[in-house]
Amino acid sequence: MAPPAQSQRSPSPSQPSGKSEVSDLKLQLRQLAGSRAPGVDDSKRELFKKVISYMTVGIDVSSLFGEMVMCSATSDIVLKKMCYLYVGNYAKVNPDLALLTINFLQRDCNDEDPMIRGLALRSLCSLRVANFVEYLVGPLGSGLKDSNSYVRMVAVIGVLKLYHISASTCVDADFPSILKHLMLNDSDTQVVANCLSALQEIWSAEASTSEEASREREALISKPVIYYLLNRIREFSEWAQCLVLELVTKYVPSDSSEIFDIMNLLEDRLQHANGAVVLATIKVFLHLTLSMTDVHQQVYERIKAPLLTLVSSGSPEQSYAVLSHLHLLVMRAPYIFSSDYKHFYCQYNEPSYVKRLKLEMLTAVANESNTYEIVTELCEYAANVDIPIARESIRAVGKIALQQYDVNAIVDRLLQFLEMEKDYVTAEALVLVKDLLRKYPQWSHDCIAVVGNISSKNVQEPKAKAALIWMLGEYSQDMQDAPYILESLVENWDEEHSAEVRLHLLTAVMKCFFKRPPETQNALGTALAAGIADFHQDVHDRALFYYRILQYNVSVAERVVNPPKQAVSVFADTQSSEIKDRIFDEFNSLSVVYQKPSYMFTDKEHRGPFEFSDELGNLSIGGEAADNVVSAQRVEENDKDLLLTTSEKEETRGSSNNGSAYTAPYDGSSTSVFALQTHIESAISNPTAADHSPQASLAIDDLLGLGLPAAPAPPSPQLKLNTTAALDPSTFQHKWRQLPVALSQVCLNTQ
Amino acid sequence: MLQCIFLLSDSGEVMLEKQLTGHRVDRSICDWFWDQSISQGDSFKPVIASPTHYLFQVVQEGITFLACTQVEMPPLMGIEFLCRVADVLSEYLGGLNEDVIKDNFVIVYELLDEMIDNGFPLTTEPNILREMIAPPNIVSKVLSVVTGNSSNVSDTLPGATGSCVPWRAADPKYANNEVYVDLVEEMDAVINRDGVLVKCEIYGEVQVNSHLSGLPDLTLSFANPSILDDVRFHPCVRFRPWESHQLLSFVPPDGEFKLMSYRVKKLKSTPIYVKPQLTSDAGKCRVNVLVGIKNDPGKTIDSITLQFQLPPCILSADLTSNHGTVNILSNKICSWSIGRIPKDKAPSLTGTLVLETELERLHVFPTFRVGFRIMGVALSGLQIDKLDLKTVPNRLYKGFRALTRAGEFEVRS
Repeated sequence: MAPPAQSQRSPSPSQPSGKSEVSDLKLQLRQLAGSRAPGVDDSKRELFKKVISYMTVGIDVSSLFGEMVMCSATSDIVLKKMCYLYVGNYAKVNPDLALLTINFLQRDCNDEDPMIRGLALRSLCSLRVANFVEYLVGPLGSGLKDSNSYVRMVAVIGVLKLYHISASTCVDADFPSILKHLMLNDSDTQVVANCLSALQEIWSAEASTSEEASREREALISKPVIYYLLNRIREFSEWAQCLVLELVTKYVPSDSSEIFDIMNLLEDRLQHANGAVVLATIKVFLHLTLSMTDVHQQVYERIKAPLLTLVSSGSPEQSYAVLSHLHLLVMRAPYIFSSDYKHFYCQYNEPSYVKRLKLEMLTAVANESNTYEIVTELCEYAANVDIPIARESIRAVGKIALQQYDVNAIVDRLLQFLEMEKDYVTAEALVLVKDLLRKYPQWSHDCIAVVGNISSKNVQEPKAKAALIWMLGEYSQDMQDAPYILESLVENWDEEHSAEVRLHLLTAVMKCFFKRPPETQNALGTALAAGIADFHQDVHDRALFYYRILQYNVSVAERVVNPPKQAVSVFADTQSSEIKDRIFDEFNSLSVVYQKPSYMFTDKEHRGPFEFSDELGNLSIGGEAADNVVSAQRVEENDKDLLLTTSEKEETRGSSNNGSAYTAPYDGSSTSVFALQTHIESAISNPTAADHSPQASLAIDDLLGLGLPAAPAPPSPQLKLNTTAALDPSTFQHKWRQLPVALSQVCLNTQ
Repeated sequence: MLQCIFLLSDSGEVMLEKQLTGHRVDRSICDWFWDQSISQGDSFKPVIASPTHYLFQVVQEGITFLACTQVEMPPLMGIEFLCRVADVLSEYLGGLNEDVIKDNFVIVYELLDEMIDNGFPLTTEPNILREMIAPPNIVSKVLSVVTGNSSNVSDTLPGATGSCVPWRAADPKYANNEVYVDLVEEMDAVINRDGVLVKCEIYGEVQVNSHLSGLPDLTLSFANPSILDDVRFHPCVRFRPWESHQLLSFVPPDGEFKLMSYRVKKLKSTPIYVKPQLTSDAGKCRVNVLVGIKNDPGKTIDSITLQFQLPPCILSADLTSNHGTVNILSNKICSWSIGRIPKDKAPSLTGTLVLETELERLHVFPTFRVGFRIMGVALSGLQIDKLDLKTVPNRLYKGFRALTRAGEFEVRS
């Protein structure tokens, strides 16, 4: 079956791969071809079986084509089937020889046994050789009129196959209109269903060129057709029901009574044993009621039980597919599912992708009444053997804490995590405590006491380290050792591989300096020197920026680095509601499983989202734009803490996304303008990077002596611009807000 | 629209390939798939994107069923279909493994041919398929030897393809008319670290095995249908009688089938208790697990087993029990098979675990997975009231059974 080039790859040791076996078979087949001796069918069957088994393991047996065709004159149906299978596989490579088979296939199309008629017709249409189309029209035409539904069913699909080989032949023979007639009148529902799927495909393809076809396509979703199909829906096979239901979602009912009629008719489909039917029905329900808010709510209530049952029955693969859909609905309307939170508890032996979805749902449905139980449950997972899930659970606890008003108990739990003495638990908990403090500064006293006990040597993960450093800087007045811990971290600057940590370290040392200058002065000097000499562009820029702003005016610097902060009220959502709506519109499709709308993964045909997410993951350290793309797309494999991602943005870009984060008494724009300036400045000075080093060393001398007034001249022109800043905060923020969106779109387009 | 179906063995070898449309899918996709499957291990999802195709996979009994598509389609449809293919093959071939598929690939091809055409699923009803393609059972093998006619395809087309009862083959005839109804329930429960039952529910199935002549019309009623939280039916069940009177009215397929599945939520207690205690100190962890009957269901509870994964930080384990046998398997799974609980004592498992040298205490706690089986009882409390036939054939035998076993029954420590 595989092309010849592949044939060497897969044969197992027991399988012959040489040519001698094939030529041997050839000889034997030839001997049998003309024989009419009794029992010849049995020996033929053995030979055919061998040929097919070679074909199955990937050995090229196309050279036997002639012999196979010669042997095909038989009344044995198994022999026929094997022969059809063989011919179907190799006809495309041997069009000349395939012509020989046409004859016997056409003869079989008139056999008295309907099974043989059907099989022959199916094989005839599966040859897919363009020159043969003329031989297809006749048998197809009579097949469509056959008295047996099996033959008609095969013929309908045959028409579609013909269409794909030669559209014009198919249309000229007027097959589409015959199919339409069959669809509306045939007694067998499988024939009807096949007609429907064939016509959908044919007319969609034709619609771009022909007015009439697009009218016909519209007619498929007209009231009479839809009602006709709906009234027979129980007769259809389960797969055909899916097809009909998919069509119904495209139908727009004229008024609400029609909507209720359809829903009443379809309600029992929700209890179908086939999960695909249930999901297709749910899609119809959700789409029909989209404009009727209260009914839409009731639909959620109604579909809840069937969905939850589907999740708990069936194979893990099935429950994953259902769970992805449930996940979407839970995210849209968490409050409806809040009493069913126990269904989202993880079982020990579930695959981790299922657990991950469940954790997200548990996070979403948490409210005042069930938080205690959910958090208790989540804490049990923290001791899980599966480390990624343990981490995920701790994050979930943190997210719940961030969305709740009463966080008393949760904070205690998080602090317990810090005392668990497991490095990954500590790491995750640190990140969470940091986020928590940004939202609930009133807890700082309790948290800092615990955080202070953590030795920075035990924290290795960049994110956790960054979080710890942030807290050291922010609460340095409350932590006795803060300057000294920071100092020891600064001394090990060269061993710190993560740019993120070095950035945070710079900022923390600055903050600490303004709170406890005498103790930090030394560390600040070292940090700035190391920062300016740093090879990483961002670290270098930030160090330079701090240095110059200190030179300019210490009190301005303090206001920039250490402004009074207001608690963060809402962390930025990672996926826009527009994208979520798009995914919802594509309910019951792959979009839901990938958690991306289809345009994000289908416009690039030859590169799957997998590679593409990896690539973005690598980029994300440097570019903020890429960072945004990742968070917008929410690639699951990307093991990024989303909360931290947003917080980083905030830290690095001032008040860009979370305008509410800083309500400084001074003009908020100055931070941003400063930031912008350094960018511009460094961009200008970049080509002449060489002259940084003398400047830097000079600067440090100044710093160590705190001789700020005697500043060298160069930076002043840029700083003057600041006083005439033309942007007010709102326009600036507006621009920033636009920027990542535009960038991410560009990124998408280029992929 | 599925484009291609591959069957892979447990070593990743392509055993079978069925192209469904004109767009041939190259076999090399399987190599890509297998590499991914090995590198991602447990976190490998059933629906993934390869560089060229979207892939659905279902693994059953070590065989991977892989389907490829390039167009948007309902994911559950792909997965459901593959599950059905696996079920049908397993039923036809009497289980699935590499050898049985390689021996019977012609039948597999024939089946796939009837189940899907041009990428769209046709019929997956085992009853109908059995009429078109005879299963390779011993009877037909013997027959073929005796009669010399070794065709495994019946001569006639199934009559039902044209009838309005698509799941039932044309009039079967039986000398003895029999119908058996089984209630098979699985109890899923989670008991947390504090010994609290956080979740307990029953997933149940009504399995029917029917051998009735002609076109029988059955009605099955329950004594207490109100306890059911959610139900799903075989297509043969008529919806209205259920909606109005909770009656299951149906014309059954011939042979075995799953009439209905249901769920009962919020059960209050479990039949047995499991109390694990782990106390660790100075690099050692003492384990003590007690098992006993909590709520006597009235019938014997047997095949009680307890399994747990020893945490990776454990160097050695010494565990003994006063009843049953304890085995520690090579993958650090400890399995304790208890069987029945004796009358005179409560089974207990005791012993010590030695931790890795630098560890003082145990941080990762094992989850105990419990298995049991109770014949003759449906723990949800569901009871069958009666089963009626519209036209009673002579010599009718009706049989009812019930069985409850542990599903996902977990006790955390």
